[in-house]
Amino acid sequence: MTDMTRRQFFKLTGATLVGSSLGLLGFAPGPALAEVRQFKLLRATEIRNTCPYCSVACGILMYSLGDRAKNAEANIIHIEGDPDHPVNRGTLCPKGAGLLDMVHSKSRLTHPEYRAPGSDKWQRISWDDALDRISRLLKADRDANFVAKNAEGQTVNRWITTGMLAASGATNEVGYLTHKVMRPMGLLVFDNQARV
Amino acid sequence: MQRVLPSDEIARSVAQPIPRLRLPDRAAVFTRRAARLDQLATDHPLSGYLRLMAALVRAQQAVLDALPPSSVADDELARAAAHRMPVLPVNDHRRHREWQAVLAQLCERLAISADLPPAWADLLLRLRQMPAAALDEQADSLLVGRMERVDPATAPFLMAALQVCWTSLAAALDAARIAPLDVPGVCPVCGSLPVASIVRGDGHRYLHCALCAAEWHLVRAKCSHCDAVEGVAYRFIEQLAGGVRAETCDHCGVYRKILLQEKDQQVEAVADDLASVALDVLVGEAGYHRASANPLLWPSAEG
Repeated sequence: MTDMTRRQFFKLTGATLVGSSLGLLGFAPGPALAEVRQFKLLRATEIRNTCPYCSVACGILMYSLGDRAKNAEANIIHIEGDPDHPVNRGTLCPKGAGLLDMVHSKSRLTHPEYRAPGSDKWQRISWDDALDRISRLLKADRDANFVAKNAEGQTVNRWITTGMLAASGATNEVGYLTHKVMRPMGLLVFDNQARV
Repeated sequence: MQRVLPSDEIARSVAQPIPRLRLPDRAAVFTRRAARLDQLATDHPLSGYLRLMAALVRAQQAVLDALPPSSVADDELARAAAHRMPVLPVNDHRRHREWQAVLAQLCERLAISADLPPAWADLLLRLRQMPAAALDEQADSLLVGRMERVDPATAPFLMAALQVCWTSLAAALDAARIAPLDVPGVCPVCGSLPVASIVRGDGHRYLHCALCAAEWHLVRAKCSHCDAVEGVAYRFIEQLAGGVRAETCDHCGVYRKILLQEKDQQVEAVADDLASVALDVLVGEAGYHRASANPLLWPSAEG
């Protein structure tokens, strides 16, 4: 948005303070400026997001501390309900109130893992391997179970032996993409609800 | 702060819309500000200035208490609402003809207060000798933000008198009859720029008008100057715990302070903004410009 209001921009510096109301009324800004030299300016952010747990999709505010300029990884320090959000008005359920622990959880999954049939061990695999394997299994299942016509001979082109769960916190655009990717394959069983 | 809410409290809070506008409390607005200025003056490098401004603000309350209650005509309210314009427009001080009388009363009250430094006595004299036309011209510059025409020495006093007139009128309004404006970022009552914003204990953020002391709601994590949500950050001084932060915007390069009642119950927009000049200096050095002046501290014209 362009600047529609009156411009009053300025900076308060040693020079502008000397000629300011303060200086002209007989107060030296020196001591205040000397104090400033001992201070360090920190940076925090407050980002609006949506709770990932369920289809209520409560609004949350995520707080992080850290100076991007120093390439430090931003560290999320607090998560709370967004008081302005029409759905939850600042409130969160016990699961949502524990989101910070999920973000920082040591057991949080950050990469694909594979457990071979019969094995009791998970092994880390690459995204390429994971996607290849998923595609191969999807294709095998679709080839075996795709229903082109029903008992009356009408064309139905459905594939109901595979299902998909997408995220409850997904945006409209992600919902659109989910449809565009899954429906053309005949997949009918998919859901954006995280009741699980 | 997280706490467990009883179910009836959740039902109650959801049933009520977020109050869009909070009008000033005529009986206490300046008393609270003066008390906060005095409180902040303790151990402050600018304690002298804060105490003198506290005296000015106390005089504002005394003059406001003595003013007869104001009222705004029904047809003015209806016209403003119909056109989505402020009902007490900032560029129309001549309608508040009493503003120069209020200024004279403020000067009188300050002149009789004890421990007045000589610089102030001279200034009060100068203010009383200023011709009415010159005062009106200064008021125009202050109200529409023509910074290069503002005399920083007299500005806090003139602004104090104008605040009394506008606050008196704003306090007499009914919030339900004030329509939102088409233009974001300015006071829905008078069209002035806000001095700072306050995140109240219930988590809602309100911008505080530098002129009429009305407060209006704005969602958090958003630039109060340009409405951007990307690139907004909060800068604060590590050594000073407390509820004052600068909301900086990388989109428009401007900042305005945001005060957190959760960290300090007593925060007051004008007082806390004035007392946190150190934050202004550091945020200015980090490259951001201040969105608008504090009514009690005007920078030198070449700033």
